[in-house]
Amino acid sequence: MNAAPLARRPLGCLKATLRQTRHQRLLVRQMATEAAQTTSKPPLEHGFYPITDPKKKTLRTAFAVYSQGTVAGVKNIPPPPSNVLQALHEEQIKRLDPTGVRTAMFSKNRDAVKPGDVLMITHRRGGEPFAGVVMSIRRRGIDTAVLMRNHLGKVGVEMWFKVYNKNVAGIDIIKRAPKRARRARLTYMRQPKHDMGSVENLVFEWKRTRKVFSTARSAAGAGGKKGKDAKAAKKK
Amino acid sequence: MAPRLPARCWRQLSSPSSIAASASLVPRASLLPAPTPITLTTPSTAHISTTSTRSARSGWSTLPPRTAKPYRFNQATSGLPTLTTGPAAALKRKERTTPVRTGVLAVKKGMTVFMGRRGARIPCTVLQLDRVQTVFNKTRSKHGYWAVQVGMGERHPDNVGAPLLGYFEAKGIPPKEILAEFRVRDESGLLPVGVQLMPDWFQVGQRVDVRSNSRGMGFAGGMKRHGFAGQEKSHGNSLNHRTIGSVGPSQGSGSRVLPGKKMPGRMGNQRVTVQNLPVLLVDNDLGIVVVKGCVAGPKGCVVRIQDACKKEPPPKEFVEKARKVLEERFPDAEAHLQAARERHLELKAARREKRIAELMEGGLMVPQEQAEKIEQILAAEAKEGGKNAEVVA
Repeated sequence: MNAAPLARRPLGCLKATLRQTRHQRLLVRQMATEAAQTTSKPPLEHGFYPITDPKKKTLRTAFAVYSQGTVAGVKNIPPPPSNVLQALHEEQIKRLDPTGVRTAMFSKNRDAVKPGDVLMITHRRGGEPFAGVVMSIRRRGIDTAVLMRNHLGKVGVEMWFKVYNKNVAGIDIIKRAPKRARRARLTYMRQPKHDMGSVENLVFEWKRTRKVFSTARSAAGAGGKKGKDAKAAKKK
Repeated sequence: MAPRLPARCWRQLSSPSSIAASASLVPRASLLPAPTPITLTTPSTAHISTTSTRSARSGWSTLPPRTAKPYRFNQATSGLPTLTTGPAAALKRKERTTPVRTGVLAVKKGMTVFMGRRGARIPCTVLQLDRVQTVFNKTRSKHGYWAVQVGMGERHPDNVGAPLLGYFEAKGIPPKEILAEFRVRDESGLLPVGVQLMPDWFQVGQRVDVRSNSRGMGFAGGMKRHGFAGQEKSHGNSLNHRTIGSVGPSQGSGSRVLPGKKMPGRMGNQRVTVQNLPVLLVDNDLGIVVVKGCVAGPKGCVVRIQDACKKEPPPKEFVEKARKVLEERFPDAEAHLQAARERHLELKAARREKRIAELMEGGLMVPQEQAEKIEQILAAEAKEGGKNAEVVA
């Protein structure tokens, strides 16, 4: 009914505005002819909300309702975005993983790490790198984590690692699972029957092959923690 | 406190002369006719009305009515010690723990982590401010305390009653989903009506108290609700594994259940305050305040954020700056409010006189340029429509 929102609504709402004005076509034309009357009044800042009598079906009363986004004379203040958590995650991931290697590593695509793969994670505070089989991947944006299992001295050890944490210095893929696991979480590996045991042999093998292929570089000390992600990505 | 005796009991006690007169009156009246009528009313009781206010409604007492302020005798000039009870004393007592400025309403969006540059991982809660506006100021003189009423979100006018629609109309504010009030220490904490509070109202690093309703658990047993130990699984126990057991001692201790006994019942959905949470991040574009740690309630619940009452408020410079920014952002707040008030009075009168329908029609006037614009659009539309019609034909 009110044609004033035309000015404050964005073009996306043009359809609705047109629909409104179409109803008012006759009225508007009359007013356009009577220019003296119409120009005297400033446009209203608000619309009306009519309350009808439920029995008589007539107008009982009406209230001025200011449009959403009107704040103390300032108009068109939009509502805040709804997917703030995602925006926060993206922003942080951009900061902590500028190359996007780790995001690719743990995203949901064919080349990504899957449960059953064997990884080796170098931690800034953990001393020795921790190698193990991936039991599950918990994807939560910036809080994405991976659960790994290994045997250290015949005792089963499981560890969670936050993928984007600065303390996780490097992630190497030691071995891909030959077949895709049919579970998302390989908790059955905790049973002795399905336990993979120590992955020490696999790590040893992997180290040996790497030495064969990169003797010169390792001698120069280029196999540092920084380059590990990149190498892992290349391996893919 | 004066005894509230009926007037007829103590009227004659108030002056000794009247007692004597009345005592000597009885025998004398029986012996000989009284030459002159004796007036029983003495000057001291003359001003007390006798029968006019005596009724069931006024409690059969002719004492002057008690006022709403029975402690009026204790004025500051009276030389009596200051009262330790009463509104003024309560305000004084709570002054230190009342924040200097208002808080805001927000919606809990969920939890995530804040990864530091050196490997720190801080769990945090994301709270979003959805068009938080100040709606009303409460003052000491009128309401007994200072507070700012704040509204958040949007509500369709279908779901707002007429009285509240009128309330929002008078403020020039669109209907809000939620209204809440935040007490402030004094009048310096009050804000202009209608301005929007953004996340930068808070300073990164400051401490806030976050209040919300916890997740409702429904009707829960004693083990879940109060952490009772339950009973044995075996050793002859039958059908009483999770029941609460005894509710109190027997005869000798009253054979009754003491008030406040922990029992099964509704659990959760109660106001929970988490105090002194540090603010990790504020973002005006996203409209979020990120606080460290967790906040009660499910995602999407409404929370109240205010400066922590048990910590120092943010530095004075920051408070002043935040306020200045607010006033700069909305310079027309006063004018808008005034216009809305005038409009409200106009509409209110129209509603009362049943003229609102005319006013609605009259209010739909559009200025010349807009009318022309609409004409153009309509013409263009008609043209297109005509073309389409031709094509169809």
